[in-house]
Amino acid sequence: MKKFSLPLILFLIVVLEGVALKLLPATIAIGETYLIPHWVFIVLLFYAMFYDREHTYYSIIYAAIFGLLIDIVYTNVLGVYMFSYALVIYLLHEIAKVLHGNIIVMILLGAFGIAVVDVLINTIYLVIGVSDVIWSTYLLYRLLPTVLLNLLFLIPFYPLMTAQLKKWQREHRTKHISF
Amino acid sequence: MSFFRRKGWFILLFGIILLVVLVGYSLSDRDHLTLPEQIIKDTVGWFQKIVYTPVNYATNTISSIDDLKNTYKENKILKEKVSEYKGLVYETQELKKENKELQKTLDKSESIREYDPIQATVISRSPERWVDQMTINKGKKDGIKDNMAVMTADGLVGKILSTSQYTSTVQLLSGFDQFNRISATISTKKGKDIFGLIEGYNSDEDALTFEIIEESNQKVKKGQLVYSSGLGGMFPSGLPIGKVKEVVPDQYGLTKTALVEPAADLYDLNNVIVVDRKLEVHEEDEPTDDGEE
Repeated sequence: MKKFSLPLILFLIVVLEGVALKLLPATIAIGETYLIPHWVFIVLLFYAMFYDREHTYYSIIYAAIFGLLIDIVYTNVLGVYMFSYALVIYLLHEIAKVLHGNIIVMILLGAFGIAVVDVLINTIYLVIGVSDVIWSTYLLYRLLPTVLLNLLFLIPFYPLMTAQLKKWQREHRTKHISF
Repeated sequence: MSFFRRKGWFILLFGIILLVVLVGYSLSDRDHLTLPEQIIKDTVGWFQKIVYTPVNYATNTISSIDDLKNTYKENKILKEKVSEYKGLVYETQELKKENKELQKTLDKSESIREYDPIQATVISRSPERWVDQMTINKGKKDGIKDNMAVMTADGLVGKILSTSQYTSTVQLLSGFDQFNRISATISTKKGKDIFGLIEGYNSDEDALTFEIIEESNQKVKKGQLVYSSGLGGMFPSGLPIGKVKEVVPDQYGLTKTALVEPAADLYDLNNVIVVDRKLEVHEEDEPTDDGEE
């Protein structure tokens, strides 16, 4: 059971993202601002920083799998979230190797990561034709509030996640795969 | 730097190819979901049902407390409206009776107005806002088919995009584009009804665009009600779609385009009705069309 706790948490968050819009007060949800919950991405970032070691790539594999899950359940275009999440988590995993894992670093990486992932997803949608947005509107009305919202999710979870992930990292030591 | 390992580039290339393949497959004219997709949607849907109910209950309680403040004023206005409507109820009943008798004499058994309602509850809403979709808790096993209309008591909210065994995905009106046209009509008191097509949703104006096809001698005016005409084959006639918000000349300057504000609230959706039209139109399986309803 312990072995599945990581993907189980991710799965629960995927389900939660579906009711995310309900939790926001009506004025914010209806208005011009687009708030996109990327909570799965934040948790994957935690995994990349605190669970994966230098040569283990669990977070990237989970990013691909759960990105695809989000694509299937919430959008009709497969592959977009899968590719974007996996690519950015890979980048952040590489960056995380040289950085120390404290809350400031997590906030900075989180903001940077979410910005990149959202821009990437939007670019792919733009190329496909699903979205048509002017970049200035996008920046102000979607990117900024989205980054802020997801950071708000990140901060309370930081203490919980880091302690638990470090514990699991020690426990799962022998079962790590390496490339 | 470890970025430039050769293996990494291959994986990236493979990833891009996978992305293109998946996207290409998704955007092609698919009729149905693949079996793994259906299984995944049903499984996640099951969990979403469990999560959605308490969250919905909590948010509803909070907003009811908020609503209590306005209750007295609202009550007065509603009482006045109810007395107005009593007269209308009597008139409608008489008309219904007359209609039934006339249909019988003409030996007509079903009309394009009739439908079987299938009740459904919303279990999740796509967080990706470009994609205006939501999931409901009824699927193939409950008789839901693709392209059926979905409405609330106020009016049309969308159509069924895809179905799996136990859940279905609804494309909301705010996500309609040129592949999801609805044949609609504005009923006028005198003269011919004004027919047209709902061509898509204009997100800047927050309204559906209604292209007028038949030039009637009536002009389209602000405030007129738009209904589905039923001539497209999938939707029954008489479903309220919305109200005309503004009339602008179309892009070629030949006819007018009306901007229609949807009658239903597309944000706070909990219980919806899926419309199963009684009069079947037998369509052969062909890949051509743009999905006109």
